[in-house]
Order: sequence, then C-alpha cells, then structure tokens
Amino acid sequence: MSNNITISHGNGGKHMRHLIEDVFAKHLTNDLLNTDSDAALLPLKNQQLMTTVDGFTVQPIIFPGGDIGSLCIHGTVNDLAVSGAIPEFITLGVIIEEGLALDTLDKVVKSMAEAAKEAGVKIVCGDTKVVPRGQGSEVYFTTTGIGYKSSVVDYSTKLIKPGDKILISGSIGDHGAAIMLAREQFGLSGSLKSDSANVISFCQSVYELEGVRFMRDPTRGGIASVLHEFNQATGYGIQMNEADAPIHDEVITICDMLGYEPYYLANEGRVVAVVEAGIAEQVLSIWKKLPNGEKASIIGDITDQHQQVVLQTELGGERIMHELSDTPLPRIC
Amino acid sequence: MSLNNAKHWLQKINDLQLPEKIKIMNVCGGHERTISNAGIRSLLPENIELIPGPGCPVCICPEEDIFLAIQLALNEDVILIAFGDMLQVPVNVSKKEVRTLEQARANGADVRPIASPREAISIANDNSDKKIIFFAAGFETTTSPVAAMIAEGLPENLFILLSGRLTWPAVAMLLESDEPGFDALVAPGHVSTVMGPEEWQFVIEQHHIPTAIAGFEAESMLAALYSVLRQKLDGHLFLDNCYQEVVHDGGNKTAQRYLNETMDVTDNNWRGIGIIPKSGFSLSKQYAAHDARLVFKDYSDDSRRRIGEMPAGCDCAKVVLGKIYPDQCRLYGTACQPETPIGPCMVSDEGACHIWWNTAPRKSKTKKTKSSRLVESI
Ligand code: SF4
Ligand code: SF4
Repeated sequence: MSNNITISHGNGGKHMRHLIEDVFAKHLTNDLLNTDSDAALLPLKNQQLMTTVDGFTVQPIIFPGGDIGSLCIHGTVNDLAVSGAIPEFITLGVIIEEGLALDTLDKVVKSMAEAAKEAGVKIVCGDTKVVPRGQGSEVYFTTTGIGYKSSVVDYSTKLIKPGDKILISGSIGDHGAAIMLAREQFGLSGSLKSDSANVISFCQSVYELEGVRFMRDPTRGGIASVLHEFNQATGYGIQMNEADAPIHDEVITICDMLGYEPYYLANEGRVVAVVEAGIAEQVLSIWKKLPNGEKASIIGDITDQHQQVVLQTELGGERIMHELSDTPLPRIC
Repeated sequence: MSLNNAKHWLQKINDLQLPEKIKIMNVCGGHERTISNAGIRSLLPENIELIPGPGCPVCICPEEDIFLAIQLALNEDVILIAFGDMLQVPVNVSKKEVRTLEQARANGADVRPIASPREAISIANDNSDKKIIFFAAGFETTTSPVAAMIAEGLPENLFILLSGRLTWPAVAMLLESDEPGFDALVAPGHVSTVMGPEEWQFVIEQHHIPTAIAGFEAESMLAALYSVLRQKLDGHLFLDNCYQEVVHDGGNKTAQRYLNETMDVTDNNWRGIGIIPKSGFSLSKQYAAHDARLVFKDYSDDSRRRIGEMPAGCDCAKVVLGKIYPDQCRLYGTACQPETPIGPCMVSDEGACHIWWNTAPRKSKTKKTKSSRLVESI
C-alpha cells in the first residue's frame, strides 16, 4: 500500500476496504460500529433525543493542543452538551484530499478515537470519499451527534432576564490564538495551546439546577458573538467586565501584535452560561472544582439599562463590543 | 502593574484644574484604537476632547492611486498585491463599474492581500514568469521596510506602485491653516521610532502646541495626555517622550538611510485633503525600471484628481482632518458600516470611522456614561 491517499482509496474496492479496516475501524471500533452494514442500530432509552450536525475544515489540521480529529469530536459533543443532552453516538463523514499522508490520517483518526473515548461517545457509522488533489484541503470531517436530553430545564434564550449573570468556564481565545500561531505565515511561535476539549462535565454539573437559562460554546466568532446572540435574542443589554475576563498573557500579546481582540477568537473547550443571579456563585464554585475549571469566572450581567453589548474596560471606561462583521485582516503596520 | 500606572495617570488628569476646553489631537490609527478600546474618552473630564486626526494611511491614499491599481489589475497580465485593508477601499465610479480591488479580484484579476512587504519578494520569486505590482501605501513605518526591500535588490519582475506618505507634513499643514482645531498633540509612537522624535519639535517651537509621544498601551497614552495637559497649564512646553522603551533620539538610522537611498520626498496628494508639500515618497530615478508609475505610464490619468475625492455624502475629508467626529457624518452607521463602507475611513482598522463603529457607545440607545462614578471608584 502506498504511503499516501490515492484516488483508488475512494473507489469502493480493495484499497478502500484496507483504508477503512486499517485506519478507521482499527481506531474507532466499538460494539455498534459494523463496517459490513450500511446503517447502525441504536439502542433507545426512555429519554428524548437531541441531535446536531457539524463540519470541520480547520487548517492546519494538526495544531498545538489538538488536531482536526479530536476537534471534530469536541465540537460535536459540545453542541449537544450545552443544549442539555449527554452525547452518545456520532456518525462520521470523511472527505480526504488525494495525496494526504496515511500516517497523518492515522494520527488524526487515532486522536479522534481518544477524544471519543474520553467523551463517552461511540462512532456508529461512517462514510469515506477521496477527492482529487486541489479539490479539498487535506481532510474534512462532517458529523452528526446524537444524545439523550438530560437537563431539567429546556434551555432557551427566552428564559434570560435582566439581572442574570454570565459565566465562562475558562480562559478566552486560546484556540483562535493557537491556530494563528500555527499558521506559520505569521512568523510567530509560542507555547500557547488550543483549549480544544469536551465540556460535558461543565454542562452536566448544572443539569439539575433550575436557574440555568442558556448555555453556548463560544466557537467561531468567539465570546463577543455569543454575547451578541444573547443581545439580539432577548433585546436586553449585556454588560461585560473586562477585569473579570480570564485571558492568557500570550493570547493578549498575539492579539496586540496582529490587531485582533481575544473576544472574537474561537474557543473549542469552553462554555458560556447565563444563570439566575442567585445561583451564579454556586455554579462558579462547582465549575472551579472541575478539571480545567480553575479559570472559570463570572464575566458579566444581563441588563435592561441599555440595549447594547458594552464592555467595561479594565481601566473603568466603557465601550461597545461590536458585532463581528468583516473578516479580521492583519493590520497594515 | 501597568493597569495601576494607567489608573494613576487617570487620577492625576482628573485632579488637574482645567479651566477651559482643551482639544488634543492624535495622528495615528493605533492611538485612536488605544483610546477607544480602553474607553478613555468616557473616563476623562468633559472639557477634554480627544480628536482623531490624519492617522490612517489607507484613508488618505489618493483615489487616483487606487483607481490606477484597479486598472492595472484588470487590464494587465499581472499579479497585484497590496496590504489587506486596501482591497476594500472604494473609488468614485458608478456602482456598475469595478469599485474596489476586491471586486477586481471577483472579476478575475489576480489580486492578493499581503500582511508584510517581504511577501512581495516571495510572490515575485514564485511567479517569475509574471509581472508583480506591489501597491505599497503607508506611512513612514510601512514605507521604510519597502525601502529596505528595494535597497537590498528587487526581483526583476517586481514593480512598486508607491503611495507612501510622511505624517508630520499633514500636521504642519493643519497648524498653518486658519483653524488647526486642536490645542495639544499626541505624536505617533511608531513613526517616531523610525524617524526620530525630533521630527515633532517644530510643533512646539514654531506653533507653541504642547506635544508628547505616546505608545500603544493605555498607560503610555494617559501619561502623554497628562503631559500635554500639564504643559498647557504650566506654559512650559517640551517634547515629552512617553514611549521611551522604543522611541530613541535620532530614530532608526538604518531605516532612514534606506528611505534616503531609494526614495525622494515629493509633494503629494492626500485623499480628501489635497496636495501637501513634501509629504510623500516617490521612487528615486535609479529605480525607474521598478517604478510601476513609469513602467505602466499609459495608465496614469491626471483628470481623476478632479473627480470628487470622496464618495457623495461621505465626510471622510472632515473626519481625517479632525474637523468632525465620525458619528457626525450623516452616513455613519446608516448607509456606511464596515460591511458596506462608503468612504475609506470605514474600511481600515486604522480608520477613525471603523474604530468608532467598533467601540464607541451608540449615542441614541446607550445610557449616559457615568464617568464621574467610574472615576470615583478607582
Ligand atoms: S503606521 Fe503605526 S504609527 Fe502610523 S498610523 Fe499606523 S499604528 Fe500609527
Ligand atoms: S461614516 Fe462612512 S461615509 Fe461617513 S465619513 Fe466615515 S467613512 Fe465616510
């Protein structure tokens, strides 16, 4: 077998069977995954199902703190977890660009398997296609996630009220900053890692609490975009306190150099929650005790004093946090 | 640490007995961002006005240069490269025509954004069978690395469309006008790093305007603001360097040498402002073979300069000169927003309108900023 993916790996024949057996089935095997059958049979519990779909195209596919394999699991299970469901099953679509090194593919699928194990989910069926060189960017994954609804509250922005508190489970902007670092065209290097991780424990730890209104994982567009989403859905103002925002010094440095703001950078292992003021401290202390939860913080309030997303700066000044509109470009100087 | 210092400067500013209204101008997009991002305006006494002046190289890049770049990209078999911001600046043509470099690219032209001048060399080397035109707009800070690149030798197929400008002549022009519109100046940090702080001495000596050089942290900015206010109150003026970490006497001699070796200082047009004497860079004669303006001289079109310099309704010319605040333009936030910029000031990260739209509380909706309360709590 050649060391790179060729078109014949996608033609349905022997090469493809090898690819599936030697890479995908090898790492992802479980009692529900049956490579001989076209559909998977899922055991049903007496609970409501929730489902989500996601696509993953990150470049570079391997970055400090993770890779596209683990990222696709984290992204999928996190969408379920923040919605109140414990993730159980994932289906996987794979599009590989001709020429990808088999070793690389093996590496990301292995890391996918590890992430799935950690999250307690099973890959139950999959599909693989190979596209000619130049028609893709190494490898893309698309997933469907399925989980059982487990929260007592049906989370919704409709539940959000003035006075509610906004919490984040950890530092802001690590993934976005790590990806920028990994794109070597910036000519920077650093010790920063992506925060890519599943947030199941953070979400599950508050499923029983009545005062939780809504949760979201602040991925693309960062925390600022989530706050704008709250603002638009509710019509209430958001008051965020910069002094309480946990941000690594490296992230600030990178942002200063490149002219970005951490609030707009993607996070892949964080949850933002809106909760009733009375339970904010309780949620905070639960989160702080969880692994990776040391930096959890109450970062802001929902308010009816204005209708904007306002950042109270460290200095004590006020400014708005604009909605991300244009693609942020590296600045001219 | 630096946050405490910043609060300390802020307190000192608020302790000053300032009788009159005082307008302090900055001439650097980076400074305007520092002020806006830290919410400094909301923390100062009301009689202090902070005015963004001519501080954005994208905003003042003449329309005819952008038009020229678009025409070259569309009609010649070239790769046109430019700093990312330049791609979205609209020229004054009807909506049916190609108005930006980005639209030229959508129409099939090979237009590529770059982040650093060095990328020009690698693109030229990777495409040796093609002509590469580097549309280099910028102030001294961006122009000096272009000069270094030229001095070190350009690939044969690389041509420079230079639109470099000097910062101080615009300030001099304002000061010599009937209504400069400011009482004190925060001088640009990066520019002074390259050209030396001495360049700003004339503001004090000839015009008796308090001046301080600031960096890009709130701390350095507030120190500079305090300095000019003190100068104003005491009547003892001196060029205060509040960015000593990187701004040194004499500036960066190597960068200056590269500029001198490769470029001449010429009278140049500023979009919305007009010709300012000795305010821009042109490639010197020995580099004529790489000067896109000469190599493609059939494209130069002097008549363009007479066609209104800003799109209809756009007040960028006044914004750039600090005559009005961005939110005083009728189009601000209505027709003109970052996704649909009408004028250049809404395009660039350094443009005052763009910075304000991203940070300044929207007037109509927001509650009154309680600067007094906030200061008390420090
Ligand atoms: S080039 Fe540097 S000094 Fe000039 S406007 Fe931009 S940030 Fe300011
Ligand atoms: S808001 Fe738009 S139209 Fe008005 S001055 Fe600024 S850039 Fe020009």
